[in-house]
Amino acid sequence: MPTNRALLVTRPNHDLITQYFHKWSEEVLHAAEKKNIKVYDLKGKKAVKSELESYALTQKPSLFFLNGHGNAYVIMGHDNEPIVNASSSLGEGIIYARSCDAGQALGALLIKNGAKTFIGYKRKFICGYSPDKITKPELDPIARIFLEPSNLVVLILIKGHTSQDAHNRSKEAMYKNFRKMISSAASYEERYAARWMWGNLNNQVLIGNPKSKI
Amino acid sequence: MNDEDKIIDQIISDPALKEQLKKLVIERVNVMPDTLRISVGSDDFDKESLLNHVREEDEVGTQIMEMELDFLRGLASGAVYANE
Repeated sequence: MPTNRALLVTRPNHDLITQYFHKWSEEVLHAAEKKNIKVYDLKGKKAVKSELESYALTQKPSLFFLNGHGNAYVIMGHDNEPIVNASSSLGEGIIYARSCDAGQALGALLIKNGAKTFIGYKRKFICGYSPDKITKPELDPIARIFLEPSNLVVLILIKGHTSQDAHNRSKEAMYKNFRKMISSAASYEERYAARWMWGNLNNQVLIGNPKSKI
Repeated sequence: MNDEDKIIDQIISDPALKEQLKKLVIERVNVMPDTLRISVGSDDFDKESLLNHVREEDEVGTQIMEMELDFLRGLASGAVYANE
């Protein structure tokens, strides 16, 4: 079942951190549009299982960018309703899940169900943030440190590079930020948050075909 | 599970070591700036709520202890500087 060069994004926004993910995903959507990649944007209340499965079946996107809460076996959509589980088939696309724990088990199950590659986190995806920026997530300097390297997974893929390249470049960006955070040039907040970045850096995993492209 | 994860699990599973770790983590969380929050899974925490979870040793508290231990082991082993 061949895929179409398209990006499907799920980005619920029913609580604080999903609002952050929702807003920060816009950078990726704009970049995809500039590359003339068709975008299916399941945002807010549209981030539900029925919509996702319908688009996966009819449009066969080559890249899935899933934002939301999760655990080892499920990724959530709007209002924390399950949107992807062990029986989900998303075609033969590449999947990046900005979600907790899905790299533990779900990623491998999605590969078994046909996906080419899964990139996600085997433990919690941590995001630090500044409480005085919650109404403007895009201007939050602490969240930026965590979410920019995460966006990079998808940004590198839509530039036509391999999944392995996307995974590596994202981890390199995380490490670069981490080194800045433990340097004397960092703010007190950044230095404290470095321990959380270390967790994300070590927990991002790639499962499946490392040579896949969209 | 890699070797590092196994070591962290062993430490967390040992009541005496976990108690020592808990005391250390409480001291480290105590210096978290009030101008910083953390999102773990579907929950958001400030310093006081993190401290409560660590004191209670609940799921979130244990995750925070594991995270601190992982970072400290990375500092001690030089792993944090080894990825140039």
